[in-house]
Order: sequence, then C-alpha cells, then structure tokens
Amino acid sequence: MHWPDLSMGGYGFFVWGSYLFSFVAIVWELVSLSQRKKALAQQRRSSASVPASVLRGSANETTS
Amino acid sequence: MKNIGPIGPIGPIRKIMNLYKYASPATFYPLAGKMIPWFAIPAALLFAAGLFVGFFIAPTDFQQGDAYRIIFIHVPAAWMGMFLYVLLAIYAGIGWAFNARLSSMMASSIAITGAMFTSISLVTGAFWGKPTWGTWWVWDARMTSTLILLFLYIGFISLQAAIDDPRRADRAGAVLALVGVINVPIIYFSVQWWNTLHQGATIRILGKPTIAPPMLAAMLIMLAACWFYSVAVVLIRLRCIILEREQNASRFAEVGV
Repeated sequence: MHWPDLSMGGYGFFVWGSYLFSFVAIVWELVSLSQRKKALAQQRRSSASVPASVLRGSANETTS
Repeated sequence: MKNIGPIGPIGPIRKIMNLYKYASPATFYPLAGKMIPWFAIPAALLFAAGLFVGFFIAPTDFQQGDAYRIIFIHVPAAWMGMFLYVLLAIYAGIGWAFNARLSSMMASSIAITGAMFTSISLVTGAFWGKPTWGTWWVWDARMTSTLILLFLYIGFISLQAAIDDPRRADRAGAVLALVGVINVPIIYFSVQWWNTLHQGATIRILGKPTIAPPMLAAMLIMLAACWFYSVAVVLIRLRCIILEREQNASRFAEVGV
C-alpha cells in the first residue's frame, strides 16, 4: 500500500477532473431520481384530493 | 412425497410458473423495492474498495505515470454504456414483440443510466486523451462510434418523451433501440477494424490480460460497482415509471378517456 501523490505526477487536473465529473454525474442521477420520486408522491397526494371532474380537462388535452 | 400432486411433481414447476407473475408491473413493483438495498449497498462498498485498490494498491504505470488511473472509471463506464444499450434493446424488443409492458418500462428505465455512463466514458476519455495523445478529441472510430451511442441513448429518451401514448412511445423506442444495437459491435471491434488512435483491448475473453494484476483488480471491482449501481438505480427508476403509468392509466379510466 502506498499513499498516492495528490498531484498525480503532474496529471492531477486530468485524473481528479475525470473522477469529479463522474461523481457529479452519479450525484446528478441520484438527485434527479429522488426529485422524481418526491414529485410523484406529491402528485399522488394532490390527485387523490382533486375530484375526477377537475382532471377531465387536462386528461382530454393530453390525449387530443 | 410432499411435492407430488394429482399429475406428478408440482413443486419446482409451480415455482417456475410462479416467476411469470413478476412479469406484471403490479407484482414486480414490491419485489423491485425489496431488491434495491441488495444492490445499492454492495455498489457503495465496491466503489470504495475499487477506488482504494486503484489509488492505494495499484502501482504507477511506467509509461503513462499516474494519468492511467483514469481507466478505473473510464473503462467500466464504457463497458456499462455498451452493455446497458444491449440490455435496453433486448428489453425493448421483448416489450414490442410480446406486448410486455414491464419489459418496455425496463428499457425506458435503463436509458438514462446508460446515457450517463456513456457520457462519463466520453468525458473521462477526453481527460485521458489530452495528457497521453496531446488532444482532447479526435474523430477516430472508437470515439466517434461511442459518441453515436450517446446520440442513440438521447434519441431513445427524446423519442419516448415526445410521444404521449406510452404504448406508441415504447414501440417507436424499440425500433430505434433495435436498429441502433448494430453500433455496439462496431464500438467493440473498431480498434481492430480500423487504424485508430485509441489503444487496443487490454482484457481479452480468450487470453491473458496485458495489465498488472492490481490494476486489473481495481478495474474489475469498479466494473462490479458500476453494475450493482446500475441495477439499483434502474430498479428505483422502474418503480417510478410503474407508478407514473399506472397513475395515468387509472386517471384516464376515472375520467372515462
């Protein structure tokens, strides 16, 4: 086992840049998924309280 | 004798037949929920282990120095991008051929994760290309075909988002996915078929790998991490898609559309 040189022998920008981009991409996916779940839960709660007659307009718009 | 029914042994047959019930979104939904922790927790542990081996155990490369450490994320991401596209095409094809809703939902669920891994492979490839080749990008066969893979993913996602009716969206997506799958062997064999700047395969199915064992170990651990992560995330998204579609269907049924 050895402690890695943080400058990566002069390639630090490229190595850490790669891992930073990957980390951001993964975090973005997890956050967007979490927001989708939250939005879905909220939508389910609000649609449960809204009568079908109110939904009729938007449903027709979607299918026309 | 306890597995003998009126027409013979029924236990194993019944178990196999029972698996078909999970082809229904409603029955697969709770199963997916139970499966997620079994993939998410190992994914986190494997990412930690892979990075530890990659940065603390694997030696510095005598030619590329520490710049080569990008492969621990670049190669697994590139493999996942290709593998997930093949999986997406299989699910989309099954969904189209057999009108299996869950398969089509699975294909939709895979697309974003596949696109994300393909983006990671392209960007980390550029980060690796600059110090080793002296350029961020060249239009060589491997890189161009991988960029086409990203466009196929984006096309699939956009096409599905553009069509309101989920069944029609699934069919249109399946056509694109099945046509686009031809790009995967082109990516894989591009370094053999054309004279490219990209290096050849370091890991072969038949034959010894050409990299040091700790480097290979780190790469394979990271690949396993990416695989477990993909399954967990795809299952989470699949549950969202099931809820969204069922919710829309029940809403339409409620208003008599």
